[in-house]
Amino acid sequence: MICLDALSVDFDGRFQLHDVSWTIQPGEHWLIAGANGSGKSALAAVLAGDGQGLSGTLSGLPDRVALVSYERQAELIEAERRKDDADILDVISEGTPAAEIIDAVCQDHDLAQTLIDTLGLRPLMGRAFRKLSTGETRKVMLIRALTSRPELVVLDEPFDGLDHDSLMWLQGHLSVLAETVPMVIVLNRFDECPEFITHIAYVDDGHLLHQVKRDDERAFAELYQLLHLKTSELEVPRADPADRLPALNSGDPLVRITGATIRYDENTVFENLDWTIEANQSWQVSGPNGSGKTCLLSLITGDHPQCYVNDIRVFGFQRGTGESIWQIKQYIGYVSTALQWEYRVGTGLRNVIISGFFDSIGLYTKSTETQRAIADDWLALLGMAERADEPFNSLSYGDQRLVLIARAMVKHPPLLILDEPCLGLDEMNRHLVLALIERICASSETAVLYVNHRSEDRIPGIDNHLTLSGDTAS
Amino acid sequence: MANYFNTLSLREQLAELGKCRFMHLDEFTEGVDALRGKKMVVIGCGAQGLNQGLNLRDSGLDVSYALRAEAIEQKRQSWKNATENGFTVGTYDELLPTADVVLNLTPDKQHTSVVNAIMPLMKHGACLSYSHGFNIVEEGMQVRDDITVIMVAPKCPGSEVRAEYVRGFGVPTLIAVHEDNDPNGEGLALAKAYAVGTGGHKAGVLMSSFIAEVKSDLMGEQTILCGMLQTGSLLCFDKMMEEGIDPGYASKLIQYGWETTTEALKYGGVTNMMDRLSNPAKIRAFDLAEEMKDIMRPLYWKHQDDIMTGTFSQTMMADWANDDVELLGWRADTAETPFEKTPAGDMEISEQEYFDNGILMVAMVKAGVELAFETMTSAGIIADSAYYESLHETPLIANTVARKKLYEMNATISDTAEYGCYLYNHACVPLLGDFMKDITSDVIGKGLELDDNGVDNARLIEVNAAIRSHPVEQIGGVLRGYMADMKRII
Ligand SMILES: NC(=O)c1ccc[n+]([C@@H]2O[C@H](COP(=O)([O-])OP(=O)(O)OC[C@H]3O[C@@H](n4cnc5c(N)ncnc54)[C@H](OP(=O)(O)O)[C@@H]3O)[C@@H](O)[C@H]2O)c1
Ligand SMILES: [Mg+2]
Repeated sequence: MICLDALSVDFDGRFQLHDVSWTIQPGEHWLIAGANGSGKSALAAVLAGDGQGLSGTLSGLPDRVALVSYERQAELIEAERRKDDADILDVISEGTPAAEIIDAVCQDHDLAQTLIDTLGLRPLMGRAFRKLSTGETRKVMLIRALTSRPELVVLDEPFDGLDHDSLMWLQGHLSVLAETVPMVIVLNRFDECPEFITHIAYVDDGHLLHQVKRDDERAFAELYQLLHLKTSELEVPRADPADRLPALNSGDPLVRITGATIRYDENTVFENLDWTIEANQSWQVSGPNGSGKTCLLSLITGDHPQCYVNDIRVFGFQRGTGESIWQIKQYIGYVSTALQWEYRVGTGLRNVIISGFFDSIGLYTKSTETQRAIADDWLALLGMAERADEPFNSLSYGDQRLVLIARAMVKHPPLLILDEPCLGLDEMNRHLVLALIERICASSETAVLYVNHRSEDRIPGIDNHLTLSGDTAS
Repeated sequence: MANYFNTLSLREQLAELGKCRFMHLDEFTEGVDALRGKKMVVIGCGAQGLNQGLNLRDSGLDVSYALRAEAIEQKRQSWKNATENGFTVGTYDELLPTADVVLNLTPDKQHTSVVNAIMPLMKHGACLSYSHGFNIVEEGMQVRDDITVIMVAPKCPGSEVRAEYVRGFGVPTLIAVHEDNDPNGEGLALAKAYAVGTGGHKAGVLMSSFIAEVKSDLMGEQTILCGMLQTGSLLCFDKMMEEGIDPGYASKLIQYGWETTTEALKYGGVTNMMDRLSNPAKIRAFDLAEEMKDIMRPLYWKHQDDIMTGTFSQTMMADWANDDVELLGWRADTAETPFEKTPAGDMEISEQEYFDNGILMVAMVKAGVELAFETMTSAGIIADSAYYESLHETPLIANTVARKKLYEMNATISDTAEYGCYLYNHACVPLLGDFMKDITSDVIGKGLELDDNGVDNARLIEVNAAIRSHPVEQIGGVLRGYMADMKRII
């Protein structure tokens, strides 16, 4: 059993893994997944003894660990180059032939010969290792690893750059090898995940965030989606060019609340609250339960009846002067748990997203071709492209939340209100939602009002804070 | 005051009864313009008053509430409803003299006294609106000549009126102008703008008359909508007890059975509801319904006749004058029935099982919907109105039975509907007595339990054709088609 216990590891000061606790039991085969730069290769390398331990423990590593990775490949090529430079003879060195590179660690010559033929390397065996192409050196690395009688095989992106036949062969070979040797494989894409993998480790920002069993279908699907959101090159879909909001006066704040008070019977939720939200200005609103966070937001959205007795100016409308709430709502995207409860419809996902163009719960208006296409782009971004016609109410809670966020953003509103968007979600779904919000914040002009009370759910780029204290606002 | 309907000639009566037209969305392009900047004052802040007011204000209109002085002094619920929602509240004297439109949303039985109190305070040329025409049609209220009188009647409880608006939709709404009170010819424009303000135009507006609204509304509510569900609940429960069915099961089958089976009406009318049954069960339900229709037909006719002649309203108003003695007594009796007193069991009943074990209930719904529709149309009410007041509303009322049995149904509906419902029930229970003697648990409680689901082809074709060709199915197909264009794209 390989055991990492609260292990932190430093890689030449360039990168650190933090507080990783992980055990690999006999019979388990792990896939390590994560976005680029998340630390998945670092975690794999730790198993081959790389990095400088800072704290925590690492135990149970076998003697012979075979690691194939770009880093290792690069190191070997670099070492070969240095040999050349160091050469004092005036004969120009050809460098170490590929055959010798393999022989240096080979424990199973028969297998090595078979592999050389199978991978089509026979004609290259006499050539200098460093003169081979990247794909060819990668194959050499694989042969070294597989013939070294390893007790643990660690493969970082082993399928990258392999031609189709080699890929098929390697996959077949690995599944046989998996019967006797534990494997850890780093992959960027889930769809290449070999059958024999039993567990998935998800790495983000140097942390081992999720460990999921392969046969836990739901968790697997969520992880797939998370990876998709983190890594997909799809962009946040465009706004509908035909759907033009009446322009706001530039320089006007989006919202200006002056001396607002909300009171029921004798009970005052808050009083005398002033708040101005400028265009493109994002805010985080926090405060204990009952401090009136949701009340405050609903003064802006027009869902609170007391918006008519307070001095509120939103999107150029002084409330209570003949404007309709639909004129207000067209500028706002809105997501909350309450909305999710309200949104109990069997409408398909595409239509739920389209309903964001009309600010309605359910869809009552015929949509245009463009609106449907935009909704499909959002579904693709969410990793739900195949599910456009699934009924909304059959979705998991977390997936519903993602779709509602897309619905809120579909019209690229000047103001996006997220009222505790992570409330009621498990870790995985929180990460999914945060990943989506982060992408939205990074790629649009929308001002975000973000209400939450968990500091770890912070979103980069939101730098104004409003705290409601409970009886008086500050 | 005389019954207004009875003052009209037969020709005028028929013309008024026959008014009903489904309006298209493009007839509402002017939105709320006709009401913009006008001062709307609502009298009463109950189910309709509060929720219509919230919608109208959110549509950009100027809404305030005039409550009777006691309600303000005692800070009653109506006062709380209005003030907590940030509305201006005042007395009649304070608000009515400047009002352009006065919305009378007090209980129907108070209308005469309310209208008599507010009329002298209303300014010249103002508009008075109702959400039900009883006061005008049955009580013959005479409104001052300079005042425009309109009706905007949402075909749903107040809570739904609000909930659907917030979703970005609305509820089907009937509008009408009282021809005798349209001095400036602006009644229709005002009613349309009002319907837009409540969101009704998105769900479908019927342009009708005060008379058609009242005579069809009364007929629907006392027969199929409330009466039939009450009678059916009591008879089916007693039969199941007689047949030794578990009381908890019987109670649950009925409480939720109406809702579950009539849900099918929304999608495809009686045809779809019947199609949910197996072939042998469908034929049984059909035969039972035919038999019940023959037995109950004279009762439906009597209800419609009493409504038309004004006998019904006279009887009921006599009870109003007598402090509701009858109504309250019947209400108390209902609470004591075995069905009402037996709580629903916690067993699972699948959606299909409600159909399979509730064949008699399905037959009762079919018989009641068709009879009410046939009776209304034969009395001169146009098919569109008759459809809304029978088939369309049945699932909405069944829904209230599911919430808290007959208690909830009777609490939600108006006193007028409740009074008519008891009248119907008292006549219908004995009327179906002999019929019920031959009923066994195979059609209520247990299901047919046949070894073989085979049926005679010719008979099945005949039954299917009869179900599908009923006039309520014809108009239903057309109206549901319109609705589907506007309604949520499911
Ligand atoms: N409920 C429905 O499903 C429905 C559907 C369509 C149309 N309608 C129609 O809508 C109208 C209102 O019905 P509703 O169900 O909303 O009634 P409701 O809930 O009983 O409310 C009636 C309101 O009127 C006030 N009120 C009672 N008696 C009064 C009087 N003598 N003078 C002044 N105010 C009085 C009450 O307040 P205080 O007692 O505190 O003064 C209360 O706020 C009726 O015409 C009804 O037919 C109802
Ligand atoms: Mg009605």
